[in-house]
Amino acid sequence: MNDVIAEIRKDYIYGLAKRSERADGRALDEYRPIQVEVGLIDKAEGSARVKIGNTQILVGVKLQPGEPFADAPDTGVIITNVELVPLASPSFEPGPPNENAIELARVVDRGVRESGAIDLSQLTLPDGKVWIVFIDVHVLDHDGNLIDASALGALAALVNAKKPSERYGYGPDEALPIKEYPIAVTAVDLDGEIMLDPSLDEETIASSRLTVISGLQGTLAGMQKSGTGTLSTEEIARIVKLASSKAMQIREEFFGGSTDG
Amino acid sequence: MRKQEKVDKTIVVPGDLLSDDAAKAAEGTYTENGKVYSLIYGLADEREKIRVIPLSGKYLPTIGDVVIGMVSDISFSNWKVDINSPYEALMHISEYPRRIESSEMAKIMRVGDLAIFKVVDVDQSMKIELAPREGQLRVLQSGRVVEISYTKVPRVIGRAGSMISLLKDKLDVNIFVGKNGRIWINGNAADEELAIKAIKRIEKEAHTSGLTDRITKFLEEEKHGVYEKR
Amino acid sequence: MEFMKNGKRIDDRLPNELRPIKFEVGALERADGSCYVEHGGNKVIAAVYGPRAVHPRHLQEANRAIIRYRYNMASFSVEERKRPGPDRRSVEISKVSREAIDPVIIKEFYPRSTIDIFVEILQADAGTRSAGINAASVALADAGVPMRGLISSCAVGKVDETVVLDLVKEEDNYGQADMPIAMDVRTGEVTLLQMDGHLTLDEFEQALELGKIGCASIAEMQREALIQKYRGEENE
Repeated sequence: MNDVIAEIRKDYIYGLAKRSERADGRALDEYRPIQVEVGLIDKAEGSARVKIGNTQILVGVKLQPGEPFADAPDTGVIITNVELVPLASPSFEPGPPNENAIELARVVDRGVRESGAIDLSQLTLPDGKVWIVFIDVHVLDHDGNLIDASALGALAALVNAKKPSERYGYGPDEALPIKEYPIAVTAVDLDGEIMLDPSLDEETIASSRLTVISGLQGTLAGMQKSGTGTLSTEEIARIVKLASSKAMQIREEFFGGSTDG
Repeated sequence: MRKQEKVDKTIVVPGDLLSDDAAKAAEGTYTENGKVYSLIYGLADEREKIRVIPLSGKYLPTIGDVVIGMVSDISFSNWKVDINSPYEALMHISEYPRRIESSEMAKIMRVGDLAIFKVVDVDQSMKIELAPREGQLRVLQSGRVVEISYTKVPRVIGRAGSMISLLKDKLDVNIFVGKNGRIWINGNAADEELAIKAIKRIEKEAHTSGLTDRITKFLEEEKHGVYEKR
Repeated sequence: MEFMKNGKRIDDRLPNELRPIKFEVGALERADGSCYVEHGGNKVIAAVYGPRAVHPRHLQEANRAIIRYRYNMASFSVEERKRPGPDRRSVEISKVSREAIDPVIIKEFYPRSTIDIFVEILQADAGTRSAGINAASVALADAGVPMRGLISSCAVGKVDETVVLDLVKEEDNYGQADMPIAMDVRTGEVTLLQMDGHLTLDEFEQALELGKIGCASIAEMQREALIQKYRGEENE
């Protein structure tokens, strides 16, 4: 089932875009209000609920001792999974993860992995095992821009997480070794106007979107273009610049204290 | 805190006992062993009879309703129309005021177009047939359409159309309210925006009293603000 | 394991005492109706979509709505990470929960449609099916679905030869019996009953009586939460 958007609504949103305006009154580079709450799930080693406007996701991080990959015996393992449960949108259906859920999980995973957010070399255990870090994203309310919400939730839950060493007899619990703070910023292009944090309507109307994940120094850690539309190289360059500076703001707001030291 | 926003009717939930007199049962209620109970979550309204006015729920069409529908598909001889209900409605090609060929249908209404329709038939299995209202098909080309719960439509219209008159009086817009909760607003862009704000507020506060006064005040204040900004 | 000490339980409750329960009506934006529940350590959210068109079409019924209920546990909701997706346990719970709620819904108003109920367990601490049914019932009312009443559910059981209400994880895992029930409190009609463990007939009667009392308290909280949704907005 696909959301059909009335032509009159499309015309209205395009008309606004021509005047650099948006339906909810935001500036083009403005996010909806972002809320991050951590530690809601006691059963998880780390957790975070992120709201961006009416979009809402919950991330749980669980750690378990397990076997390392044969080709990397001295590094921990990250496994990222996203559930687009049918509770979150009339267009989500029950069943195994579809291509959208898998793409979302893999983009979030790459951001964490490639940026080096966790020092995986510090996840080894004395008995030859390593910590397996499960990042599970549960989407609760889908009102657009799930990627940025999920990536932010994943990072916040990792920062919140403690290795459950005591439970498995490895000594006292410790925080995860966080080295980098990757932030995802997603943009859509409507008639040449670049908008950050697309609402569901904007996301549905736009024929493509670009997600840019960047780290502390503004360096890029991951990108994903999604959708059948095209973007010019100039547009891409503009989005990348815009996204990296917006990521700095978001990082400062939610992780300012932790990134200083 | 606004103290004047009293709920003047009692909020009830399914299974609440409403009366010991089965003869008083009306919409939104059921009877069991001679007693009347609420069937839905809503506002109990007791006059000669007791009915429960829903606060939420899906629109079910009745013959004669005028609605705003969106074309969702075109088949050989029917436009399929989404009327904000669990059931898709159909408008047959022959209902169009003049004779047209099947190949011309998409020129008249495309997928994604909104138009005003009249419900001309609803059968037992909820097959719904539509026709243009008053013999003329009105496809909405400009303006904006907002969607509210159909249960709040009577409040947006107001007693004898008083709320709608108020909006039209204070704002430079045309407003058409579909029975299915879709509302078309067409006019000056700033006033369209204000009308939508007012309608959203009416929807949110539909269960409270003194609403007309508050909306009047709201429009006056907002209008003032708009003019000042210019 | 010792479960009863000086008439109190391991979490200091009396045998007939419920854990703290909190309902939040309309917690989600997209759903037609929704409810978030905290019940002791359980955190559960329910959403209702519908009545809406049935996909696939062959499932539709000519003269009434069908009811679908999906109980799902988030991977992080339990101590040991759960593999995502349905397992045998969640399929069974979905079935009995659907059957617990189905009897009060007026399905004849909506031929050829479906009413979909989705329950997500975000954190589990014994009694998730009951918490899910309680949330689902409120979410259905919030969605405007016509019902003869609300369904309320709780578990009763036996620990240290004592019949107790609303078991916690340890009591559930290591106790002598666990019996979840659901009912329409007004009519007294039971819509869900499961039991495992050992109960004498006397204990069963005692347990059922205690369960009725538990459900009645929960029904009152469900009702209050629904009424509060509109009272709350009034004071904003």
